[in-house]
Amino acid sequence: MGHHLPAGLTVLRRPVAAALLVGAAALMPVTLPAVTGAAPACAAATGPHAALVIETGARDLRLCVALDAPTVTGVHLIELAGDQQHLSYGFGSGGQAVCRLAGVGPQGDDCFADYPDFWGYWRGDGGGGWMWSSLGAASTTVADGDVDGWVWGSGDAGSTHAHPPSVTETAVCIPPSPSPSPKPAASPRTHPASATISVTAAASVSARPSHPRRSPEPSPREHPASPSAPPSAIGVAAADQGPPPASRGPRGGLILALAIGAALAGGGWLRTRSDRRRDEVSSP
Amino acid sequence: MRARPIHPGAWIAWATCAGAVAFVTTDPVYLFLLWAVSWFVYSNHRSDAGSARSFRIFLTGAVVAVVLRTALVFFGTISVANTAFSFLEGLRLGTILVVFGTFNAVTDPFGLVRIAPRHFHEPALAAALALSIAPRTVESVGRVREAQRLRGLTVRGARSLPALAVPVLERGMDEAHTLAESMDARGHGRGRRSRYRPQPWTAASTAIAAGAVVAAATFLSASAGGWAVLHPQTAPPVWPAADPALIVATSLLALPGLLRGGRP
Repeated sequence: MGHHLPAGLTVLRRPVAAALLVGAAALMPVTLPAVTGAAPACAAATGPHAALVIETGARDLRLCVALDAPTVTGVHLIELAGDQQHLSYGFGSGGQAVCRLAGVGPQGDDCFADYPDFWGYWRGDGGGGWMWSSLGAASTTVADGDVDGWVWGSGDAGSTHAHPPSVTETAVCIPPSPSPSPKPAASPRTHPASATISVTAAASVSARPSHPRRSPEPSPREHPASPSAPPSAIGVAAADQGPPPASRGPRGGLILALAIGAALAGGGWLRTRSDRRRDEVSSP
Repeated sequence: MRARPIHPGAWIAWATCAGAVAFVTTDPVYLFLLWAVSWFVYSNHRSDAGSARSFRIFLTGAVVAVVLRTALVFFGTISVANTAFSFLEGLRLGTILVVFGTFNAVTDPFGLVRIAPRHFHEPALAAALALSIAPRTVESVGRVREAQRLRGLTVRGARSLPALAVPVLERGMDEAHTLAESMDARGHGRGRRSRYRPQPWTAASTAIAAGAVVAAATFLSASAGGWAVLHPQTAPPVWPAADPALIVATSLLALPGLLRGGRP
């Protein structure tokens, strides 16, 4: 079939129909993760907001930032904090990297000019703990109720870089003493007073980095960073948050990729060799 | 016994989807895997020596692209972070070149013209001619050099350029003339097309197109939904992420290498 003239017409249509069908089926998963992205941890105030924790070494800043979209990047969160709270900042590498925060950090485009000191990027795990971000701030997704942390210091990985003290978004964005008329999150404020959450808890929380460089066992999900999360309200937020997206250990995947890549390369090489041998036989 | 060849439309789907995968990620794990996939597909489907040579040219171009893109760092601030970032950007560009080189080596550009809808026949023809220029030029350079070697001429350096360029251009003109004549003889440009030997859309073609579309959709959904890391952090550099789902998706693009639907 398919060899006569009228069948030639269907030859054109079948691939088109197949492509449409497959395309429609394949587009479905695209929308799924987008819907399940954000988890509301801060339901008390109106509008989405996130907390920004900045440790310059001399100063601790706790900023509650109203988001202008359901999710923003870590870089945009800093820009919003600059608009709303007059945080001074400077980006480098074409807006991809964070060079300066609150007046600390190198001038210019190279954010590692002061290396080994640089701005380490931490992401709150929802329970007051911190995880070293495996992404640059231009690629992360900050949703309502998230906490981003920046610490000036040395150390290339989460195991060596200093981390912020344990803090949750609710502790930053909701005043510790409830006022009779709480203002909406559209007019965010700073709460330096809310920094008095136990530092001892933070020390145990950060014992396990999210992406260790050469740890033999890179699976942070087996080590939930909230065994000693302080108050009860924070535990609720931790339950809502679920595991963060970038928390999977890369080692198993790397081995899988290496195995598949080696098999493909080897298969291709064998094929080429046998072809060459066949060609030599057929055309001496 | 010869199996039926894979439909050019399936190859277009494969190349588009593989290119899309390379476009949305800078993760070296997936990109290097894509190099292996391309090599595997190419070695199972290469048609003749000319296609092998053009694949090699694209491979060289890809390596040059990676090196040049990385070398651009030297014009700015040199740091580990910047170098890693530039290398990954170059690797992405090189991967797209390798994918395109594979596509170029395994398909017949004029087979693509035949499946184009009637209204797009002339643009498709122009595209096919443009696509085939690189491999045809490479091939004719190789043939001219071979002829010169057979005649005992050792031509090297800048002086060999005219001796090489003239016959290559002449061959190109000859080929264009032959092509125009043969197209005229087959009734092209007169509003009708021959239906001589229509290429069948095989089950293997469906499998290849479907696998490629699933692979691209997985990567695009990761890109849009953010459920996997596609751009590894370079400041400071960390081990790149390797999501098993995305690795499997990339491997789906190797399907054409397993389905050896007849080599012409």
